[in-house]
Amino acid sequence: MEFDFSPVIDYLPTLLQGVGVTLLIGLAVTVMSVIGGQIVAVISLYTRKVVSWPLRFFIWLFMTTPLLLQLYFLYFGIGEWILIPAIVVGVLGLGFHYMAYNADIFIATIRSVSSGQYEASRSLGFGHLATLFYVILPQAFYRALPQLSNNMIIMVKDISVLSAIGIGEMVYVSQYAISVTFRPFEFYITIAVIYYLINLMMEAGQSWIERRAAYRR
Amino acid sequence: MTQTTDTPMVELKGVKKRFGDLEVLKGIDLRVDRGRIISIIGPSGSGKSTLLRSVNNLEVIDEGSILLDGMQVNRPDLKGLAYERHINHIRQNMGMVFQHFNLFPHLSTLENVTLAPRKLKGMNASGARELGMELLERVGLADKAQAYPSSLSGGQKQRVAIARALAMQPKVMLFDEATSALDPELVEEVNLVMKGLAEEHMTMLIVTHEMTFARDVSDWAMFMDGGVVVEANTPENLFSHPDQERTQHFLRKHLGAQA
Ligand SMILES: Nc1ncnc2c1ncn2[C@@H]1O[C@H](COP(=O)(O)OP(=O)(O)O)[C@@H](O)[C@H]1O
Ligand SMILES: [Mg+2]
Repeated sequence: MEFDFSPVIDYLPTLLQGVGVTLLIGLAVTVMSVIGGQIVAVISLYTRKVVSWPLRFFIWLFMTTPLLLQLYFLYFGIGEWILIPAIVVGVLGLGFHYMAYNADIFIATIRSVSSGQYEASRSLGFGHLATLFYVILPQAFYRALPQLSNNMIIMVKDISVLSAIGIGEMVYVSQYAISVTFRPFEFYITIAVIYYLINLMMEAGQSWIERRAAYRR
Repeated sequence: MTQTTDTPMVELKGVKKRFGDLEVLKGIDLRVDRGRIISIIGPSGSGKSTLLRSVNNLEVIDEGSILLDGMQVNRPDLKGLAYERHINHIRQNMGMVFQHFNLFPHLSTLENVTLAPRKLKGMNASGARELGMELLERVGLADKAQAYPSSLSGGQKQRVAIARALAMQPKVMLFDEATSALDPELVEEVNLVMKGLAEEHMTMLIVTHEMTFARDVSDWAMFMDGGVVVEANTPENLFSHPDQERTQHFLRKHLGAQA
């Protein structure tokens, strides 16, 4: 068979729009899952069992069930009562999913900061919360970075799952273009290449961050 | 609240501390006048660290009382936030130096020193920088201001830790085996900084296993064993003519030919 990439050129603006949506969702989910992951980790480590156990259950639930199921549940399940826009469901669903994974990492790295760090800070006169904020969490964050960025690299690929609830990210827009042009290979190859490039950029970012983080550990 | 010069800077009265069934401090009395330097020596497990940590309230004592410049440190009557506030205030007046330095690895040397004055005293960036550089100068590490702890030697780390503790302008400095984790060739640079503080009449409580240093620098020396002060005297007397059998035995082991 012959490859013909001219339809891809025709639909480039549409594809790029999909790339933009993917990147924006990726950014939103990164911010939400990293900040939220830290909050969840802190709450589950430092609060009473009545608060921390339900939270741990929530983490466990999100980590042991498929993302697609979670999205369907939020979109069609909860959607029975309140209609939430797909994009909000998508970001929240992915956000919660990766928040659970990131919280798991933060719990481990917060625990790995030595008690000597806590005591040094307290001995200077910092309170418990100030110590957490200025001393423990930044160190836990630097230690979490390699795994965090791995998670985010995986997450960007998972954004394609959002096509299932009609969000116009990369895979969704290419499906649309294919349904009009009947050139699946060309579009899928193009999308794969774009994913590959995004991955390359993220890995470059990861090693840039890693170099900066290494001497602060 | 600063008291008259008669008020001891640190005072312990009948201090007892238990870990479960193990009584680690069995009634310690100690008076440290301002500007005085007290050395605490004794075998491992005798309660030296626990004593120092109790002064800073890192360990909460079970009985007795501890006073810093007339202020009661242990306050079993205070609960929750009131207790937090009290203890943070007390600790801002004490500098503590740990065996394993415990520098903040995510902060530069200068930031390690300035974190507390900036966040706790609300000092502005330039004021804190000036203070930080002055303190780093004092411990001989001004050229390492932008370095991170991971790039420093043990001796340098401990000097930064001392500068960090000094940044809150403490009334007393507590040293818990500040040189025990150091390679022998790095001990002297830290000792020199501590001697410098002694010359400036900083009140200090020094737990150490370095008998020569203790004898040189301190005004008063205490030998602890099994949670009690076995013997306390001027360093000349304690190290040269110990009264107690246990002290003699300990010093024979640790001083060897020097005694
Ligand atoms: N947090 C703790 N829990 C239980 N036992 C402790 C704790 N800290 C110290 N101890 C015990 O208290 C005793 C005195 O310890 P420590 O004050 O560290 O002695 P030193 O500093 O003189 O070596 C030791 O027997 C030690 O095992
Ligand atoms: Mg000790």
